[in-house]
Amino acid sequence: MSLFHRLGSRLFLVGVLSSFAAQGAGAEEIVFKDQENREVRLAKAAERIVSIVIPMASTVIALDGSTKKLVGMNPTAKSAVVEGILGKIFPEAKDIPSDVTAPNFVPNVEALTATNPDLVIQWGGRGNDIVAPITNAGLTAMLILYGTEELTRDYMTMASKALGKPERITQLVEWRDRVQKDMEAKAASVPQDKRPSVLYLGRALSDISASGTKGSYNAWYIELVGGKNASAELNGTVSINKEQIAQWDPEVIFLNAFEAKLNVDWVYSDPVLSLTKAAKNKRVYKMPLGGYRWDPPNQESPLSWMWTANLVQPGVFNYDIRAEMKAAYKTLYNYELTEADIDAILWVKEQGSATNYDQFKAK
Amino acid sequence: MAVVVQEQDARRLRIALARQTLVFGLLLLLFITAFIVSLCVGRFSVPAGRALELVWIGITDPTRELTNIDERIVLLVRAPRVVLAALAGAGLAVSGAALQGVFRNPLVSPDILGISQGAAFGGALGIMLGIWGLPLIAMVFVFGLAALILVGLLSRINGRTETVTVILSGLVISSMFSAVVSLLQFVADPNTSLPAIVYWLMGSFATSTWQRTLIAAPGLILGSLILWMLRFRLNILSLDEAEARSLGANTTRERWLVFGMIAIIVGSQVAVSGIIGWVGIVIPHAARLLVGHDHRALLPASVVLGAGFMVIIDTLARTATAAEIPLGVMTALVGAPIFAVLLRNHYRERSAS
Repeated sequence: MSLFHRLGSRLFLVGVLSSFAAQGAGAEEIVFKDQENREVRLAKAAERIVSIVIPMASTVIALDGSTKKLVGMNPTAKSAVVEGILGKIFPEAKDIPSDVTAPNFVPNVEALTATNPDLVIQWGGRGNDIVAPITNAGLTAMLILYGTEELTRDYMTMASKALGKPERITQLVEWRDRVQKDMEAKAASVPQDKRPSVLYLGRALSDISASGTKGSYNAWYIELVGGKNASAELNGTVSINKEQIAQWDPEVIFLNAFEAKLNVDWVYSDPVLSLTKAAKNKRVYKMPLGGYRWDPPNQESPLSWMWTANLVQPGVFNYDIRAEMKAAYKTLYNYELTEADIDAILWVKEQGSATNYDQFKAK
Repeated sequence: MAVVVQEQDARRLRIALARQTLVFGLLLLLFITAFIVSLCVGRFSVPAGRALELVWIGITDPTRELTNIDERIVLLVRAPRVVLAALAGAGLAVSGAALQGVFRNPLVSPDILGISQGAAFGGALGIMLGIWGLPLIAMVFVFGLAALILVGLLSRINGRTETVTVILSGLVISSMFSAVVSLLQFVADPNTSLPAIVYWLMGSFATSTWQRTLIAAPGLILGSLILWMLRFRLNILSLDEAEARSLGANTTRERWLVFGMIAIIVGSQVAVSGIIGWVGIVIPHAARLLVGHDHRALLPASVVLGAGFMVIIDTLARTATAAEIPLGVMTALVGAPIFAVLLRNHYRERSAS
């Protein structure tokens, strides 16, 4: 309670000061509510942003179209950026500091302050312990929540507002909306018994994890594209065993893009999993790794849905993924994707022999 | 008069022997029932008759090619898991019983020597470095042994080791390794290695295969067997230090032999199934209440009871819900109340008599 009050009065003070400053500078102050319903006030468009949240680092790059405004990020985000296609598009990203936070989102206040950020993006809903250090250092925090498409659009909109580029997000949100509506319309005609059961495994190598439907972004887009979440009976993301997977007997299996050493052989070489419908029909796929991993919500999500849709409901959807990717990367990063880039993102070499994967190969 | 006393003694002995035989019979029955039931139940429905038939085929014709999913589930998923759970439970229980004897302290468990924490560090480090499978198992085992060697070096002062310095050294090494495990968790990738480490630290047999079972089996079986061969020595070691020496025991050397065996057992177990607490403390106590303090009876009773307990717990962990319940949670939730009831009954009887 007292922390809350302190936070409140500090915000008030910042508010008063910045409104004075704004009057002086000619009122380009930016004010909005973040997803924890806190008021975020910026005297002017943020020039220096730190993202403690992992997927937001690449989103900030996409929203700005450059790495100039991202001055700090999570070490886990950095390895994803540097090792993925963004490292090739923006080689300078490797110089962005990642000592501003521990991977578990606990900020290192001194390193964070040293980057002199105008705005720090942090997770909400995980307690005040990871937020207080930021606000106590006198920095401005924007808290976001994980999970649904609505929340994703909402926090992406906030971030682009903070960057002073509200027009930029309209384009990206419209794209998401257009693709989602198109899919909903096409999938609506698919009867229940034509919807394959689809299993997404968030972890596989050390222990296996799957998610229930509620609050899972993966389950949401599996249903969006006309599939059924095979692990719907679970609550949240939990560990499961192979016998349980055999019992669900999914028709399609998606493996996560987080575990670098995981590939479809993990399923095909397993005595039990190789007897599931998905394995027998060669419908096991590893999620692509583009500007970010395609599993969680991010700036490239519509590409992820389209790729999933073509694989889950090949009779209903036939997006030209390669063309869509080229267009999207041009818009998002102002980058011309090469054929080799696309092959690498979609793992064409690793899983090109899977069912329905020919459509993704270069013509 | 003397004859009467002798007859009474003989009768008492016969009764005690009959009672012990009955207890062992019941324990064995419990274990065998648990083992068989465990093979017949699971998330994938295989009728019990069919499951038993498959087990019989698996035993009589082990080289047969398994093509059907129910065959593979019973023989390649459930069987290795149940066998591993039984071996691990037996090993942990017998380790606990032996250690409590050596230290003459009922609160001691196999964790006290720092082996679990050392092994945990090896595992967490392996997961962080993206090492899976055999190399990970080897790494865990080596770090478990390394922890014991560190404890040994630390507790040896002027060529002698006292019980109390062993416990304190174990505590020191344990806390150091657990601090480093926390550090690894702190820097682990929250998307992949962190949940993997956390899950692994809570213990699970979910990843059991015959390969993993066969890797762990030699250490678990040999370690337990050698502890059993030391049962007379354990009876002497559990006496007062001076008394044990007067009976001709080289207490230091024998103690380290026991510790070495425990390191091999716990190292093998943690390597394939993560940290499983409580079994090493609850089971020896329950066994002691059933068969008494004599290690000749206590060790085999701990083995059978530990194996049965672990199989039951693991069966619940994998069948109760679609999600795997971590074993650490189950052993504490099930073990602690049983332990409490046993202890209360024991002391109530003692104060009544």
